[in-house]
Amino acid sequence: MATEERRKEILEALKNAVIQYDEDTAKKTASEALDEGLEANDAIFNGLVSGMEEVGRLFESQEYFVPELLMSADALYAGLDILKPHVKQMDLGVRGSVVIGTVEGDVHDIGKNIVKMMFDVAGFKVYDLGRDVPLDKFVEEQIRTDSDLVCLSAMMTTTMTGMKKVIDNLKAKNPNVKIMIGGAPVSQDIADKWGADGYAKDANNALKDAINMISSLKKLKEEAEAKKNK
Amino acid sequence: MNNILEKELLKHGATIVGFAHVKVALRDEISHLERAVSIGVDRNLNEETIKLLSLLQKKTSAILKEKGCRYLSIPPDSDRVSTTFISKLYTLFTHKIAATSAGIGWIGRNGLLISPVYGPRLSLATVLTDAPLKVNTPIDSSMCGDCMLCVDFCPSGAITGKEWSRRDPFIELVMLNKCSSYKKSSRAVSGKPNCGLCINICPYGRRKVQATQTSQTARIA
Repeated sequence: MATEERRKEILEALKNAVIQYDEDTAKKTASEALDEGLEANDAIFNGLVSGMEEVGRLFESQEYFVPELLMSADALYAGLDILKPHVKQMDLGVRGSVVIGTVEGDVHDIGKNIVKMMFDVAGFKVYDLGRDVPLDKFVEEQIRTDSDLVCLSAMMTTTMTGMKKVIDNLKAKNPNVKIMIGGAPVSQDIADKWGADGYAKDANNALKDAINMISSLKKLKEEAEAKKNK
Repeated sequence: MNNILEKELLKHGATIVGFAHVKVALRDEISHLERAVSIGVDRNLNEETIKLLSLLQKKTSAILKEKGCRYLSIPPDSDRVSTTFISKLYTLFTHKIAATSAGIGWIGRNGLLISPVYGPRLSLATVLTDAPLKVNTPIDSSMCGDCMLCVDFCPSGAITGKEWSRRDPFIELVMLNKCSSYKKSSRAVSGKPNCGLCINICPYGRRKVQATQTSQTARIA
């Protein structure tokens, strides 16, 4: 078991690897973390994700541009790949499985992939349908996997109308399912009108939203642990 | 910084290094990365070569990063893992633009980068950056002259024989569908993945042994 000091050091190194978009160091440090007995959850949330939160800030303040953002995301995944098999199932009070995809006719999927990553990090079971997904497939997959959340993405005005159809079908089949929509042409208005439960404007906002989501998950996790320790 | 980069890259196995101004060729997402480091190695594009190129890119980006510059490494074409986030940006740029802009060569009738010294035998990688590098003089037009060897030898008749120039970048030099359908059918027969005749036949940079062989075949033909 690593000392507290060493733990902090490793977490800081993971964080910096993501901020510095350094895939090799992310991998190396993730292995070190496991070797030295750190909890995988700890390493992910307080190391990798902390780094990504900082990257989100840097991106917003325009110190980082798209290439840096994407390289950081790759570094996070590199570390995550190593840590993930050792993650203990988190008890967050939310059951986590999500169906995600870009609707029919649309092949833009950077935003979707970033959101997917955040779900991955949060320990959700992610059913990624990919891009250009036939509308019926969302409903089928939701029913097949009994997921609580469906995320739809569209980047073009011509394809976003497909999302309304999916929302209607999903709500008809299963009123309890939560639906998040996102993409450049989508607005809060549209989300409300179409009956979506959540909305993220673009990759930038999706990232921010997803980071917020992770932060609140983190809080949930801490609360759950606090309760357990009482 | 040019010298440091060039020295480091040549030391680690690069055959040729060039610096280019490429702003006009960049899409919005990467338009801040105005300069390109074009790296060529005089080898077939096989696994070893890809390893070498990716090492050279890492060396380049490490130096740039240390100087506080932004960068984006574009790996060799055949090494584009599509599972990473950053790979979405690779398609925004081609190595040949960097290489011609850096004065390493021109685009031959066969659609490949031709260096006056190494011919079409360079494997390329590019690192885009915002570092204030001094740039080389670009090559803007073809130096193929009257040579039509690749046109005549192409087994699929895909090479149109037109000449490249930077002013007219959209001329169709090679009919890609003809080339790839030929490769597909010949692969089924011979099992060889690639054809490469337009590379072997090019007189620029042809090695001696190859030269005699091909001139023999030319006589027979």
